[in-house]
Amino acid sequence: MSALYQSLVNGTMMGAMYGLTALGLTLIFGVMKVVNFAHGSLLMVGMFAAYWLLKITGMHPFLALLIVPPLLFVFGYYLQDLVIKPVFKSERGVREPLTVIIVTTGVWYVLDNLALMLFGAEYRTVRTAISGTSFSMGEVIVSWPKFAGFVVSMLTAVGLWLFMLKTRTGKALRATSMDREAANLMGIDQYKIYNVAFGLGTAIAGVAGCVIIPFYYVYPSVGVVFDIRAFIIVVLGGLGSIPGAILGGVVIGIIESTFAQFMTSTWTEAIIYGIFLLILFFKPSGFFGNKQDW
Amino acid sequence: MKKASTLKRLSIGLGAAALTVCLASFAFAAEKTVKIGNVEPLSGPSASVGIQGKQAREMAVEEINAAGGIKSLGGAKLELVYADSKSDPTVGVTETERLINTEKVHIMTGCWNSAVTYPATQVAERYGVPFVVPVAVRDTITERGFKYVFRIAAKDSWWVRDQFRFLKDMQEEFKTGFKTIAFIFENGDWGTGFAEKWRTLAKEAGLQIVLDEPYPSTASDLTPVVTKMKTANPDIVLLVSNAADAILLTNTMAELKVKPKVVLASGGGHADPKFLENVGKSALGMFDEVEWNTDVNKPNAKEANAKFKAKNGYDLAGESVDAYVATYVIADALERAASTDPKKVRDALAATNLTTGPGMLVSYDGVLFDENGQNKNAGIVIVQVAEMNGKLDRVTVWPKAARRAGYTPVFPMK
Repeated sequence: MSALYQSLVNGTMMGAMYGLTALGLTLIFGVMKVVNFAHGSLLMVGMFAAYWLLKITGMHPFLALLIVPPLLFVFGYYLQDLVIKPVFKSERGVREPLTVIIVTTGVWYVLDNLALMLFGAEYRTVRTAISGTSFSMGEVIVSWPKFAGFVVSMLTAVGLWLFMLKTRTGKALRATSMDREAANLMGIDQYKIYNVAFGLGTAIAGVAGCVIIPFYYVYPSVGVVFDIRAFIIVVLGGLGSIPGAILGGVVIGIIESTFAQFMTSTWTEAIIYGIFLLILFFKPSGFFGNKQDW
Repeated sequence: MKKASTLKRLSIGLGAAALTVCLASFAFAAEKTVKIGNVEPLSGPSASVGIQGKQAREMAVEEINAAGGIKSLGGAKLELVYADSKSDPTVGVTETERLINTEKVHIMTGCWNSAVTYPATQVAERYGVPFVVPVAVRDTITERGFKYVFRIAAKDSWWVRDQFRFLKDMQEEFKTGFKTIAFIFENGDWGTGFAEKWRTLAKEAGLQIVLDEPYPSTASDLTPVVTKMKTANPDIVLLVSNAADAILLTNTMAELKVKPKVVLASGGGHADPKFLENVGKSALGMFDEVEWNTDVNKPNAKEANAKFKAKNGYDLAGESVDAYVATYVIADALERAASTDPKKVRDALAATNLTTGPGMLVSYDGVLFDENGQNKNAGIVIVQVAEMNGKLDRVTVWPKAARRAGYTPVFPMK
């Protein structure tokens, strides 16, 4: 029985972090109606930023949370402004701009290969203050870095939710996501809003980088490990939905962790994809998705 | 008008330049360089070992060229031509075809991944180009009656056989009382191949298999697998892991405080020099099966390792040593063949009996191929990760004759 509790706890914690990796993706899609294929690479950039910061300064990973996400925000803001916006403008009037998706794929390849050239293919980990530490809850052993990741993921999701609900910029983001023309007519500069959305999405990838690096490793194509899962989570939770991303993440995490106790982990991967297909068949809008997006 | 003539002049100039380049390359060819084609995983999940192999070959080629190249070929220099397999068999085959047909390489070597080496050697056999495999351990690579394929490293079944010999010896020497065994392996060709043989050998050894678990190398979390291991509570855990998953598995085991009597890995990710750096003390007490260790007492072992470390920042390991040795085996064969004709080089390779020279830093006595091209002498050592003078070190513990003086293996892992 303790193995089951252990799996549930671990699955929930990992799942919340999967949700965090999906949060940026779902935000960017919600506002821009663009599937950002570069999302995994942005996560990789976040992980490398956290890696180097922790490696060089040896600071506590929680402190890195104050530095990496703002840096990544600036990176994402200008990436959208300089690379994606021009293509976006030429696709004006299309609801789901296809060429922008292709541009994000280009960004993915460029970033991954740049990282390969700069840092090489090797796996890098950094021993932080919380790496390898754990505490016991009865029979269940809880890893500190994962527990911290769980808490940070939840706080980030709640923070983003409040930001969208309460602030002027948040309202502008939501208005643009509902109807970009109408938002434009109300005096919202949609391209600036896209910059902000992309910046925020990238900053969240930075948060994810900071919480993952104390227990995982980084290498140039690490994004692939997380982004396929992130896509599944986004569809499961509903495209554009913040609580959907976290809930979807936790569901995937728990399936991955507990099912593996009854079958080999090779099988759990297949089951996750199977569920993904079933969702697409029977409830393509996911848990909290907006029907009109389909 | 002016513009057009400039263009014309420019094109003539370019043509002339191209011609010069062609002629120059002809002249270069006449001076003879021997091209060695390398297919290696230079990106993707096994890139780390692929790159180490590349660095080891480069070091060997530099040494050979500096010592006057291949003397029987008028001092011909060795030249390495690389292609990236990305650990993908399809890419490996295409690149082998390209190296043979377009680059006109004289000899092939590579590919580390068994799944890539298997079809790539087939291509070379078809073209009649000698293929020296430093390491790719699947048995069948040298069991197809091929004439042009030679392997330096020990094959799968020998690795697995020696793992069980080691367990038996430990049982006898230390009365460890092993009863149960668990298999945790990556679900690729390599891991499943090992697991298949483990099952039979475990039965013969009278050990009860309590867990038999393949996992995907690219997993983001191996806690589920380790949780299962904890529940099964085996005396012995046998592992086959690639680079990244070896790190994750070791750290997760330490986190969940899983401490079997013996954790025995099969080289690969665990033998990667970056492994210890990445896991630190979590690996204390773990056993690993490798082809080579820095404390091997052979001439040139210390010197070559020091040189390699100064250049690349980490120690030589089984994989890179195999690549280094393979380059010397190729040079030795070329020297005796006195020709780059593939048939002659093949015959020279088959007659190899290399026992001296810088390439002989291996733990065994020499390279000698059997009729299938398998190095008959290839040997294996088992090391334990221990703390020596405040530093993590890999200490040779088996075979007993090779055990580092004054060291006693420790059970269970700490």
